Amino acid sequence: MDKQSVTLQRLREAEQKPPRRLKSILAPYLFLLPALLLIGFWVYKPLVQTLQLATYDWSLVPGTTAEFVELDNFSKLLRNAEFWPAVNNTIFYTVGMLPFSVIIPLFLAAATQSIDPKAQRIYRALFFIPMIMAPVSTAVIFRWLFNPGNGLVNQTLLNLGIVDRGIAFFSDPNWARLIILFIAGWKMIGFATLMYSSALTGINGEYYEAAKLDGASEIRQFFDITLPLLSPTTMLMIMISVLFSSQWTFAYIDNLTMGGPFSTSTNIYYMMYRFAFAEMNVGLSAAAAAMFMVVFGVLALILQYLNRKLAFYDN
Amino acid sequence: MQGKKKILMILMILTLGVFAFTGCAPTQMSTNEPTTEGEMTESVATEAGSNTESTEADGNTQGVETESAELDPANPVHVTFYSYSLGFPTMKEGMEHLIQEFNDTIGKEKGVVVEGIVDENYTKNVTDIQAGNQVDLIQNVFPSLDVAKENLGIMAFEDVFPEDELDAHWDGISEAALSLGKIDGKTYGMAFTFSTPILFINGTLFEEAGLDPNHPPQTWDEVLAAAQQITEKTGKPGLAFSPSNGWVTYGLFYSNGAGIFNEDRSQVVFASPEGIEAIEKWKEFYTSGCAALGTDGEVVEQFMAGNAGMTLNTTAMLSGIRSSFDALGIELTGTTMPSFGEKEAIPVNSGSALVVRPDSDLKAKAIWEFVKYATGPRGYTIITSEIGYLPLRTEIADDPQYLKPFADEYPLVRVNLTQLDNVRGTIWPAAIATEGSQIFNNAIQVAVSTDADVGETLKKAQDDINALYK
Repeated sequence: MDKQSVTLQRLREAEQKPPRRLKSILAPYLFLLPALLLIGFWVYKPLVQTLQLATYDWSLVPGTTAEFVELDNFSKLLRNAEFWPAVNNTIFYTVGMLPFSVIIPLFLAAATQSIDPKAQRIYRALFFIPMIMAPVSTAVIFRWLFNPGNGLVNQTLLNLGIVDRGIAFFSDPNWARLIILFIAGWKMIGFATLMYSSALTGINGEYYEAAKLDGASEIRQFFDITLPLLSPTTMLMIMISVLFSSQWTFAYIDNLTMGGPFSTSTNIYYMMYRFAFAEMNVGLSAAAAAMFMVVFGVLALILQYLNRKLAFYDN
Repeated sequence: MQGKKKILMILMILTLGVFAFTGCAPTQMSTNEPTTEGEMTESVATEAGSNTESTEADGNTQGVETESAELDPANPVHVTFYSYSLGFPTMKEGMEHLIQEFNDTIGKEKGVVVEGIVDENYTKNVTDIQAGNQVDLIQNVFPSLDVAKENLGIMAFEDVFPEDELDAHWDGISEAALSLGKIDGKTYGMAFTFSTPILFINGTLFEEAGLDPNHPPQTWDEVLAAAQQITEKTGKPGLAFSPSNGWVTYGLFYSNGAGIFNEDRSQVVFASPEGIEAIEKWKEFYTSGCAALGTDGEVVEQFMAGNAGMTLNTTAMLSGIRSSFDALGIELTGTTMPSFGEKEAIPVNSGSALVVRPDSDLKAKAIWEFVKYATGPRGYTIITSEIGYLPLRTEIADDPQYLKPFADEYPLVRVNLTQLDNVRGTIWPAAIATEGSQIFNNAIQVAVSTDADVGETLKKAQDDINALYK
């Protein structure tokens, strides 16, 4: 008997015996079971607990009693002096991050695409280095660069005669969040450039050859071939950038301004962290988390919809 | 066939879901998740039992535990000590030395090992307590003492340690300092590292500006004049004193006769005419361009780098400033906190209190050994000479065995001591502490460093904070 007929015979046998059929139906779910359990335990259980915590007034300290407060935490949150500035800044960081995650990396990747491979590798390594630097060390370095007394930035500005007094970047409400955005963006560029570079490598060279034969200029090629074919990557980067910019600015807010001056550089993640661990008000923190889970969930759905509408896949 | 499969799949997922969520029910109880009121109380009774029992049972016989509760050098008791001083370069070495010396001497002899845990943002102790780890001893700052009392399960010294030993140990420690850690008549925090703000002076810049560093300015008007002269003559900021300092600010209010709270701390009253006047004076440094700009950390760095004339800051900075100025060849002098005209300056205290949360009688004994050492004459000699905080046992400053040689060399120590009797503390009521102090600090920053009107800003902050009480 050859292999095929053996398989066929087994299949026939399987159809004849009901218990084995049940087994074969169960099998895939048994394979899925560990993954489902893990996701249930690590993702959905905390999620449900967060929603539950949002209705309690509690410090999270073992041995203390959690007090059920219904939806008080939500109304408290909306009245909190820090809430609206934090929302405002979250929008600022989210929108401000887009040039760093889409526009600049796109051009950096395109510019380094057609150069000598050796030089290309060096350039890309240089772009990527900020990404792998520890956020806290990055924060310390930038703190010194922007120091109002003898920081390199202020010294340069003073020497060039642009300012006549050092700027206190981190205690000036106009500057603090700009600098934080800049640092987070500076780190983002490396990652995004790498993503675009790999996407560029995936574009079929024949399109360019055909376009060249038709006499299309380099710029025309970029806009008519490169850009549309990169649209899936662009949508992905927009999604990552929108959903993660608040988290990525967290470390710099904590290390450089602690949300200041007068709460002008805080964002919702930093606010939640402060509620939970500095103010020991886990309920308020959970309420904020629940509220923003909804906001970011809706955002994610919109982005996915846009992704389906706008992204062009070269299959 | 298809339909059966679908039903089976849905059943499967439902079972999995139920399993995933309910499977963890026992752990929920034991980790004190707020499930229902009943469950909560039950778990409190079991988990926190040891805490409350050891508190109440002090002096009573408590079965096996009390009888065996003697320290044993062969089986040392491990004490976790959460300290912010361990997280600052200027204080780290001194605090490490203190802990190490205790472990090598008394600790070894009696059977106690203290483990220092870095907690520079005062949050690690909180998250560790939340995570259910045993946190025995915390170097806690004063303004959040009531919060710790309400939320962190800290215990009053009178409830944990024998009264006669407390009295004997507290003898010789400044009464004013000890009273700052009292809430409702009980000592929840024992004054530990402690300092008052002093006006540090960069003698070299003073001389360059034609001022005499040995006749430092005493009132805020004099400080302003000196700061302006320094900026005019040297181009460097005259005063490095940031509105985000978070503690000296209170002293400005007190020194000008204003209060932060009313008598029973049920209202904030800082936007009084005296309070507004004090902050307006401070603002003049900014409007006249002689103030160092930047965050609190940045302005101190400017002073330490020799780029500012004066700074009003804690003596805990002394060792850091001293070594920096020595390296730069700058002369360091200083004086007491400036006053408003003829009024007496009322300094505030920065620094910390020791708060305790032993989980057994034995642990309490171990903690008490370290507390005695750290706040004894030898402990304060290390704290003062290697960190810069005040010796709360004032008499050791004149004891050649302890601090006299150091105090003779650095007269700033005695400047700090003279202010100790006037010192006044600020403890925010737990219910409004974090949000209230945040609004207050933000308002001070806005009032001092922006164009905003001081009176309006403070009044608005006062109204906002009082609204929190409701």
